[in-house]
Amino acid sequence: MSALLDSLLGERAAPAALAGVRDAAIAALRDRGLPGPRDEAWKYTSLRALEQRRYVDGDCGARTRPVDVAFLPGPFAARLVFVNGLHREGLSAAGAVTGLAIERLGSRPDELAALLRSPPPADAFGELNAALALDGVRVRVAAGARIEAPVQIVHVGAPADGDVAWSLRVQVELGAGAQLRLVEHHVGSASNANLASIVTAYRLGAGARLELVQLQDAADGGTLVRRSDAMLEAEAALDLHTIEVGAQLARHDLVVGLAGRGARFRSRGVFALHGRQHVDTRLAVTHLARDTACDIAWRGVADQRSRGVFHGAITVAAGADGADAQLANKNLLLSAQAEIDTQPVLEIHADEVKAAHGATVGQLDERALFYLRSRGLPLDLARRVLVAAFCGAVLDGLEPALRAHVDALLATRLPQAEVLS
Amino acid sequence: MATQTPTAIEIERTREPNGNAAVEAALNRRYEAGFVTDIESESLPPGLDEGVVRAISARKNEPEWMTEWRLAAFRHWLTMTPPHWAKLEIDPIDFQAISYFSQPKNRPKSLDEVDPKLLETYDKLGVPLHERARLAGVAVDAVFDSVSVGTTFRKELAAAGVIFCSISEAVREHPELVRKYLGSVVPTGDNYFAALNSAVFSDGSFVFVPRGVRCPMELSTYFRINARDTGQFERTLLIAEEGASVSYLEGCTAPMRDENQLHAAVVELVALDDASIKYSTVQNWYPGDENGVGGIYNFVTKRGDCRGARSKISWTQVETGSAITWKYPSCVLRGDDSVGEFNSVALTHHRQQADTGTKMIHIGRNTKSKIVSKGISAGRGQNTYRGLVKVEKGADGARNHTQCDSLLIGKKCGAHTFPYIEVKNPGAIVEHEATTSKISEDQLFYCRSRGIGEEDAVSMIVDGFCKQVFKELPMEFAVEAKKLLEVSLEGAVG
Repeated sequence: MSALLDSLLGERAAPAALAGVRDAAIAALRDRGLPGPRDEAWKYTSLRALEQRRYVDGDCGARTRPVDVAFLPGPFAARLVFVNGLHREGLSAAGAVTGLAIERLGSRPDELAALLRSPPPADAFGELNAALALDGVRVRVAAGARIEAPVQIVHVGAPADGDVAWSLRVQVELGAGAQLRLVEHHVGSASNANLASIVTAYRLGAGARLELVQLQDAADGGTLVRRSDAMLEAEAALDLHTIEVGAQLARHDLVVGLAGRGARFRSRGVFALHGRQHVDTRLAVTHLARDTACDIAWRGVADQRSRGVFHGAITVAAGADGADAQLANKNLLLSAQAEIDTQPVLEIHADEVKAAHGATVGQLDERALFYLRSRGLPLDLARRVLVAAFCGAVLDGLEPALRAHVDALLATRLPQAEVLS
Repeated sequence: MATQTPTAIEIERTREPNGNAAVEAALNRRYEAGFVTDIESESLPPGLDEGVVRAISARKNEPEWMTEWRLAAFRHWLTMTPPHWAKLEIDPIDFQAISYFSQPKNRPKSLDEVDPKLLETYDKLGVPLHERARLAGVAVDAVFDSVSVGTTFRKELAAAGVIFCSISEAVREHPELVRKYLGSVVPTGDNYFAALNSAVFSDGSFVFVPRGVRCPMELSTYFRINARDTGQFERTLLIAEEGASVSYLEGCTAPMRDENQLHAAVVELVALDDASIKYSTVQNWYPGDENGVGGIYNFVTKRGDCRGARSKISWTQVETGSAITWKYPSCVLRGDDSVGEFNSVALTHHRQQADTGTKMIHIGRNTKSKIVSKGISAGRGQNTYRGLVKVEKGADGARNHTQCDSLLIGKKCGAHTFPYIEVKNPGAIVEHEATTSKISEDQLFYCRSRGIGEEDAVSMIVDGFCKQVFKELPMEFAVEAKKLLEVSLEGAVG
């Protein structure tokens, strides 16, 4: 057993209802351990350093710890704030919105336990999530309801007594024809080196529509392992924007099943990395029904000593005729010490399909740079303009206020690039 | 086939909307090259241990260093496990059930002494030996099972300074070259099948093109697996010295078999400064019948090392045969300004499975690579492209373009693409694009409205789909490849 698991899988006081889930998860973890270098899904992300670390299981002061976080601008239907994995009543706000139900599961351990078991954890980090879970939330939108203002879920990582490991389970359910805008904001209250595990499941009923924004701006020293699992019924649509700029080590498994006829998934994503950041996004979309569509465009910028990993797999199952699948991944490598690993994958088992993917890794266009410099922009500024434009291409469709926030955030992360020869 | 009671699959197929009798006949066509030459083989009994490795080495009168080299590889192999990462469904292979050496009993001393039946086999396959070789202008090192039986054009090649012989002969006559280069591109412990090959390799070709020499003719080896239950383990080593250039053709057919035959070859190419090597393969081994019974298991390690500056290695392959294809011809672009190319057409029909692609490792500066992969899946075939483009830190100005297209014919086949792109140099430009689609209805309709039958239309479209690769093949191969595809795909539409 690794130091990591040793430090986390001991005895602890927790609601009895969760004990069974925890025991099963611990047994699975002891049996299986964390993925190693020979595990294909972890080929580009080594867990060696993480496994040597020791964490404190949960933050007992999370409900009272003062935090300093800038929330996202704009109106909201509800804002749910979790600090180190535990819900914070005082920071959260929710009015009564017709058709919107928010159930906090920290006070309903039986329901949380049931949620953690169904479906059973998909991998080792899913087990870790279940083992550490103390809180959770379920967001439900009634069939036919249209929630105008977005719901915000804010995951705050805060420094505690020692490095803590925490987890959270989130369930988002949209009834038939329901519409919701959801913003997930991962943010650090101050520098910390916590380990966070968040598992979120999205269930979209027939004709439901979810506009989802995932903004990952976690604390620089932290480790964040996420799994987002979406299942779409007929004619349902998921429109996703993902922005990743934070954390020391971030891994995101994004699993989408287009289960109903005509289901659609559109995804725009960007990561901008610097320092020694390592961000690994693993996207798997499966077309399970006829006439389903996915359209994925992801961009990455790696500067300094960072490493960006993108795996985008599209599977068209037998019988899913009429599938239309597009994936494009473009990357900028800005430093000789940085690395980009990209792997667009197609698995096609039906013949009436249109499927295409493309991936590029390169640098800024010399001619564009020259153009800007000939207009009097210093090299450094010209670079920043071009990189911002490169990232901006996948941010269309964000609300203006949110877009402005993301642009400003990217600007603080983007190159102070070293001069390329 | 026609006289037999139709199987469930056949009945099902005739019910498909566009099914017709001609299509059925073509689909059920028997493997044309499926015949067995009745020549007594002198095989070792099945099984593999150090004794077998020593016996193979002894039969080939190999020097001590070669035996030790084999044994080291064998010992390493024992510590390894077969790879499982490929998208292939393979029953476990019993490596102890295979005989690791077989050769025709009457060892010929010259081409005239070659068993007429053997020559007849080549005749049926269209191997240009004897006068035919001269007419065709192709030098042939024909490998019948495991021992070279005849090599032509040796003299003409020798005059140019080119060495073209079997690897066993090279071990005896040019040990300094073999010792220097053998295993220098594919080390003995490189992978499971390369280790196995290193331990038990039976024969293969050796080509050495000295400094500044442009090889006066295209070199060709026609492999043929013959004796029952005998794995064939060729080892090919091809060296082009500074400024040399050579084009090498490799083609394969094998007789019909019921049991799966194992084939694990290793091909090593070395290109020094300004050298250029073009390696073309048409692979048409027995793919098994429509129910997936029989067929060759083809596990090949092919790697070219662009060791010198401005060197170039180009792989072109047309893979239509074998039940299982596991093959990734690769280029290590070590020299500055070196160039690697990979052009591939892979076709899977019935229950064939192919997991094939390439690796381009950019190490030197301004290295360039181009990958064109065309996969065609029909019947229940599974076709996978798996490729790696890796740009190391020092590879300033590296450039890669990859295009992989898949064509699906039928509801039960699969086409998959697994590219790996790893870039560590900010001066590199790497591009990958892939598409998957079925044969376009519009194109089919256009052809048919011009009075072209469905079969011919499909053939034309597939030919167009593969054209980019075919044009890289030497002429005689291009013709053969085109015919192979046509024959393999007849009736696959419907």
